[in-house]
Amino acid sequence: MKPWNYHTARDLQLPMQKRWASIRREDDLASHCVHAAAWHAFRLFLRLYEHLEVRGREHIPSRPPFVLVANHSSHLDALALGSSLPRGQLGAPFPVAASDTFFTGSTRCVMSALFLNALPFKRRACSAHSLETLRERLKAKEACLILFPEGTRSRDGAVHSFKCGIGALVAGTTVPVVPCAISGAFEAWPPDSAFPDRGHVCVNIGRALRFESVTNDREGWREVANQLEAHVRQLLVNTQSGDHAH
Amino acid sequence: MAPPARRGGLVEDNTMNTSERLWSPASAWQHPATTGIVIGVFTALVLAPIVFTLLKRTGRVSVPTQRELVLRWKSWVVISAGLIVPILLGAVAVFITGLVLSLLCYREYARTTGLFRERAVHTVVILGLLLVHFAAADHYYRLFVAALPIVTTTIVAVAVARDDPRGFIQRVALATLGFILCGTWLGHFSYFANDANYRPILLWILLCVELNDVFAYCWGHALSSPKLCPRTSPGKTVAGASGALVTTTLLAAGIGHFVFDGQVVDHTVTLLGMGLGIAVLGQIGDLVLSSIKRDLGIKDMGLILPGHGGMLDRFDSLLLVLPVLFHVINYLQGIGTDQARNIITGAFGNP
Repeated sequence: MKPWNYHTARDLQLPMQKRWASIRREDDLASHCVHAAAWHAFRLFLRLYEHLEVRGREHIPSRPPFVLVANHSSHLDALALGSSLPRGQLGAPFPVAASDTFFTGSTRCVMSALFLNALPFKRRACSAHSLETLRERLKAKEACLILFPEGTRSRDGAVHSFKCGIGALVAGTTVPVVPCAISGAFEAWPPDSAFPDRGHVCVNIGRALRFESVTNDREGWREVANQLEAHVRQLLVNTQSGDHAH
Repeated sequence: MAPPARRGGLVEDNTMNTSERLWSPASAWQHPATTGIVIGVFTALVLAPIVFTLLKRTGRVSVPTQRELVLRWKSWVVISAGLIVPILLGAVAVFITGLVLSLLCYREYARTTGLFRERAVHTVVILGLLLVHFAAADHYYRLFVAALPIVTTTIVAVAVARDDPRGFIQRVALATLGFILCGTWLGHFSYFANDANYRPILLWILLCVELNDVFAYCWGHALSSPKLCPRTSPGKTVAGASGALVTTTLLAAGIGHFVFDGQVVDHTVTLLGMGLGIAVLGQIGDLVLSSIKRDLGIKDMGLILPGHGGMLDRFDSLLLVLPVLFHVINYLQGIGTDQARNIITGAFGNP
């Protein structure tokens, strides 16, 4: 008889306090219900307060794994991207969030993990380990990620150079990467503002890209980052000119 | 005493008895076995840290071992309170505790086997656990027994509806086993609370099952002997198992005489048989969980109980004891026969 394939939860050996702040965290049914409820609330807020507009939703893959990438200039970005998903996938993806911002202190840690469904990413120390863990989860078809390759919020609203980390995640794999352009979020909630103002946020979703023929080395990672940056910039231009995703 | 009146199939009882059984802790100390077991457990918990300190000071245990013993003792305090207090409070508290126990155990099972990723069948099992404990709380025996075929049928139907034969047998089998372990078997913990004598019965079972583990450990360390099942549980020995068999059988029969004083099962052979059942089934339950863990390649099912591991690691010995003892007692003298049935469903559950 062939042996069965057991996939024990990745965070099984972690105590509860460490589980919330672990990049290996996996959800169970109860936390999934909390995520779904929270993201429905976020979407309602964005529709009413920020007049969220989504274009190109049909380009989002229907099943994991996939990665959504976008320009980043506001705390509203992750909420806008996550709220752009079809109703059946709301709350399912993991926004990858800076651990030094969203996972400091136990309360913030629990809130980020339980309501946002965020995964912590160490931007400085151990980033290679974090990337490797995320790559394994994508290859195992366990996760959908929301990622901002600029690495931090733009302080002037312009798109800055995409870092190579996104390439390390997907180069040489069949994981679809969906480029998205977010406009209006910087104006509604700039980095130096404590609370969001009313505004008009638009998410323009492009066609998914695959990088299975790209080599999994620095050169390949740079190529991936450059391609995605170019697509996101083009989507932003299309958004501003009123066109849909190309 | 006249038999209870019947109306439309529903047994009418003295509603004060049912209400008192469900909600009132006032009668908690009526049975002497209840008082004796609770005092015994309390005394053991109070004395244990004193004994550990003495052992450390006389050099019979090292400092790390003493710390480990204290860690385990702290978990034992929480476990004891978590089980004894609801039993004393009333049957409703027992139903809630039984449900929480089932859910926590199933959560560990689902996460270790990976079943939690199969959301559809995972949800069916959770709903099945709720159904079992609802049936127990309702004193609705026909639904309690029907829960297994209802849930397993739903599991296969949901698994087929996914139209993905890859891994079909695995996810159906894992879901079915999970429901049997955490729903059907553990559900009998709740159903015992439908008997007027439930407090001493549950305390007796819990005490004897947990002491069975302790006896196996003590006898295993006291006597050298071959391993019992070396590939499944390297720590268990034949001497430990045999010693526990004898000790637990005698202890369970002895305490059982006070628990069932004057009832049908209060018969030497029956009590010894039940004691033997607790001893054998408790150890088999332990080996079942060990087999699951070895198959999965893990040491513990979880980390919720410091020093013990997960809930299933602590309560594995109960898994087979509860259903078997329930049906032995139910066959010989009935469980909850003098209590109102279908408390929630009423005539709907008793056409």
